[in-house]
Amino acid sequence: MDLVATKTYPSERRPIRHLDPVLLFAVFVLAVVGLFMVYSATHQSLSAVGLDPGTFLKKQVTFVALGSVMVLLAASFDYRFLKVYAGLIYAASLVLLVLVRSPLGTSVKGSQRWFQLFGFQFAPSEIAKLALIIMLATFLSELRSGDLTLQEVYRATAIAAVPGVLVFLQPDLGTSIVLVTILVGVLVVAGARARYLGILALTAVVLILGAFQMGLVRDYQVNRLTSFLDPQNDPLRSGYNRKQAEIAIGSGGLFGVGYLQGTQTNLDFVPEQHTDFIFTVVGEEFGFAGAFTLLVLFGVLIWRAFRIALLSKDPFGTYVAAGIGSYLAIQVFVNIGMTLGIMPITGIPLPFVSYGGSALLTNSAAVGLLLNIHMRRLK
Amino acid sequence: MTEGRAGLRLRVLAGLVVFMFATLTTRLWFLQVLAAEDNRRQASNNATQLLPVPAPRGRILDANGDVLVGSRQSLQITVNRQAAGDQLEEVVFRLSKLFGVSARSLGRSLDDPRYYSFSPIPVAIDVSPRIVYYIEEHHDLFPGVGLLKAPVRTYPQGTLAAHVLGYLGQISPEKLKDPSFADYQPGDIVGVSGVESVYEHDLRGTHGYVNYRVNSLGENLGILGTVAPVPGNDVQLTINDSVQRLAEDSLKAGIVHARQVFDTSSGRNLRANAGAVIVMNPKTGGIEAMASYPSYRPAAFTHGISTQAFNRRFGAQNGYPLLNRAIQGQYPPGSTYKPWIALSALARGLVTPSQSYPCPSTYQVPEDPTHHVFNNWTTANLGFMSIARALSVSCDTIFYPMGYDYWRIYYPPPNADGIAGNDSQPPKEPLQHDLGAAGFGRVTNVDLPFEKAGRVPDAAWKAAIHKLYPKSFPFGDWVPGDFVNMSIGQGDTLVTPLQLAQAFSALENNGRMCTPHVLARVLAPGGKVLRRSPSRCGKKLPFSQADITYVRNALAQVPISGTAALAFRGFPFSQVWVAGKTGTAQVYNRQDFSWFAAMTSANGQEHVVVCLVEQGGHGSTTAAPIVRHVIEGLYGLPSTEYGTVAGTD
Repeated sequence: MDLVATKTYPSERRPIRHLDPVLLFAVFVLAVVGLFMVYSATHQSLSAVGLDPGTFLKKQVTFVALGSVMVLLAASFDYRFLKVYAGLIYAASLVLLVLVRSPLGTSVKGSQRWFQLFGFQFAPSEIAKLALIIMLATFLSELRSGDLTLQEVYRATAIAAVPGVLVFLQPDLGTSIVLVTILVGVLVVAGARARYLGILALTAVVLILGAFQMGLVRDYQVNRLTSFLDPQNDPLRSGYNRKQAEIAIGSGGLFGVGYLQGTQTNLDFVPEQHTDFIFTVVGEEFGFAGAFTLLVLFGVLIWRAFRIALLSKDPFGTYVAAGIGSYLAIQVFVNIGMTLGIMPITGIPLPFVSYGGSALLTNSAAVGLLLNIHMRRLK
Repeated sequence: MTEGRAGLRLRVLAGLVVFMFATLTTRLWFLQVLAAEDNRRQASNNATQLLPVPAPRGRILDANGDVLVGSRQSLQITVNRQAAGDQLEEVVFRLSKLFGVSARSLGRSLDDPRYYSFSPIPVAIDVSPRIVYYIEEHHDLFPGVGLLKAPVRTYPQGTLAAHVLGYLGQISPEKLKDPSFADYQPGDIVGVSGVESVYEHDLRGTHGYVNYRVNSLGENLGILGTVAPVPGNDVQLTINDSVQRLAEDSLKAGIVHARQVFDTSSGRNLRANAGAVIVMNPKTGGIEAMASYPSYRPAAFTHGISTQAFNRRFGAQNGYPLLNRAIQGQYPPGSTYKPWIALSALARGLVTPSQSYPCPSTYQVPEDPTHHVFNNWTTANLGFMSIARALSVSCDTIFYPMGYDYWRIYYPPPNADGIAGNDSQPPKEPLQHDLGAAGFGRVTNVDLPFEKAGRVPDAAWKAAIHKLYPKSFPFGDWVPGDFVNMSIGQGDTLVTPLQLAQAFSALENNGRMCTPHVLARVLAPGGKVLRRSPSRCGKKLPFSQADITYVRNALAQVPISGTAALAFRGFPFSQVWVAGKTGTAQVYNRQDFSWFAAMTSANGQEHVVVCLVEQGGHGSTTAAPIVRHVIEGLYGLPSTEYGTVAGTD
């Protein structure tokens, strides 16, 4: 394994010449779509209270700019250096997850997830995703090749469990689901036998039931789940959100009602619309055509991630790329699934499209890492 | 890392992702393509709010086009509870200070469950400009308080024809269930009585709408579109405002005068507590005037009225002024009934025009074991006279035997008890049949609501009512006395003043019956005639033309030489032909009810005038002078002062 970063490349092998343009293009389009959607979702309510209708748009533009810098940063060094600092990054993310529950963190809507920093909110659970991917990839890539033993599977699970539990206690069910998915995705690629994964799933079920039994799950989480299973149960609260989201998307029809024309969007019928429910804006204003195009873009993004995992010259790169692919895929599926009424409502943003700095920077870093692995696939 | 096991596993992972995306796409297709219509409809329901805009209600005009009921815009103060938000209590408090009403009653009107939380609720109507300016100037003190222009009724002629016109009120739950009121909403204002109620659908017009855009909080974000209301049509009546005023003034003056008249039988002045006058065109059935005393101010309902205030103002101590006694008062007709008894008896051959009959002071039913004595209205023995004379002097003792004849000749043979009819043979009741043909005992179908049917009693009715109310009606068997009472319009017989007016109109109209009506035509707001009242004349009285003429001529003697001669003393009969009939109806526990029904004709202008005064004494004392007064007004004759007229029937 070559850990020398200062290695000089022949000109045709210079990493910059091996960017993944398809990946970059998909991400760029998604981010631009996100800007339009954030404006559509927020301009009306902002001007209604006398604020600049572009307030959120401008912030998101800033985030996108910062995100571009983040892509460059994450792609600029040889990703294999991360193996050296994996432990440190992992530990730091755990410390932040603990600190966010201290008075340093900010509580919003019943859960303590954010640090308030320079006027921006910053969620350590976002960092935890990347930290976990790097930590798992490092751990698994250092094992001998061949199928994983049950003990190795358990150790990997333990690595994921620590941030998973901390995030779950915030409480942030959505990120917990993402962390578990990352674990499963990386384990599958690393060669865990189906049997072991089955055992893992069984353990998870037991633990989840235990959590319910011990009252660790908050009322509102139970509510969301039950209203997901039975939308009539709670029509004015979480069920109402679901119903309004479905109406927004459904009313878009094949081609949508037109940009800035959505009544569900403009009149605040869908809650959290610039963040978790941003997909409803696409659905209402651009219809099936727009929503499906967005799905295709995400498909391209995830395809490129898995392709990069395949092309990577070392297992570490493969695991990192596979972890990132899994994490993007589950975020897209859970987020869009929730707006379509086929997944419970959890606070998971739609990558690159939802308003929000932490997620955008994290996703940018992930894309930077993917590019990094892709650029350096040729020895 | 190259293709190999990891590659295979990545493909498994990718397969899972493809599956997830396929799931999302399927669901998208379902929501956006298959269920798109439903969702689109729900989105549009979400985002818009239709508020109805009431249409200006059509006017009610008299026969000459004078406005009886108009419409005007009134300024109303409304409160939008949602817009007031957490300041609602302060707003209500400030408004209550401003209006000078209690905050509690204001709060109660705001708690009205008929309104949505985001709809403005009217809390004050016809507010003074001073209050409006104050609210406009201090808008920050009154969040959610708005101004609304809404049409309200005006009554340029005050109380004139109040009973015919009717009044408005909130729609009742029963009416809301009526299919013809399908497009009405709870809280809508509708005609509750009178013409307002009968011609509600002509007068109402069509609501307009304002389509507001609302957000998820129901806040109004602006107007998307409006549909202008279509004003209601005007309703023109056969009522003539000058005749109506004449009838009301004559009735009131007559009543005021009657209260000065001493009533010997009760030992005190006449109470004359209520009355009615009808002026009708006998050729068409068009009602020219319909007065009922006491009356009320229809404008009293403009601002709404509480149940307590309603009961106080319109209850017993004020003589039930909402009651239209012309169509809802049911009274024994007394001697005004005699022309129809005579016509029936003539038609059935019980009496003939050529014969003379004795008019003693008393009458006893032959073979009556109780020996009940029926008295004439006077104790004098008037000797022998024709049926015509019996009508004009109203001889009861000539009519009693006619009543008995209906028993003797037509009633089925008695059972062993000697009184009750033979049950196996249903009674033939030709008198009841003839009275029914003259319109008694059934509604006239005048185009006014809540008309009463009066009563023509018969054996079946008497048996049924006895079974139902054995205390109030202790006898269930039809006896000769029932016919005897009926022959002079007493006993269980009841008529409404309008039934009498209809029957006298038929007499004046050569036996042709007309359905009385108040509608002349319906006019579009521009004045175009949309609909005329259909002519509903035609049914003939079952009497011969000769008999009708005989009775009509007999009645012409009533004001000249009969019971109304004193009341019509000095009347220019050479200018105006008048025929009529007095009636003095006895009502248990009351002073006599005074009736006069008249037919007049001059210069091709015919009218039927009927007057009833409750506890007005003899027909000649109170009702006949009122009718005379009306007739003088109708033909432009100098009017006679009310003077005390001796009581003759």
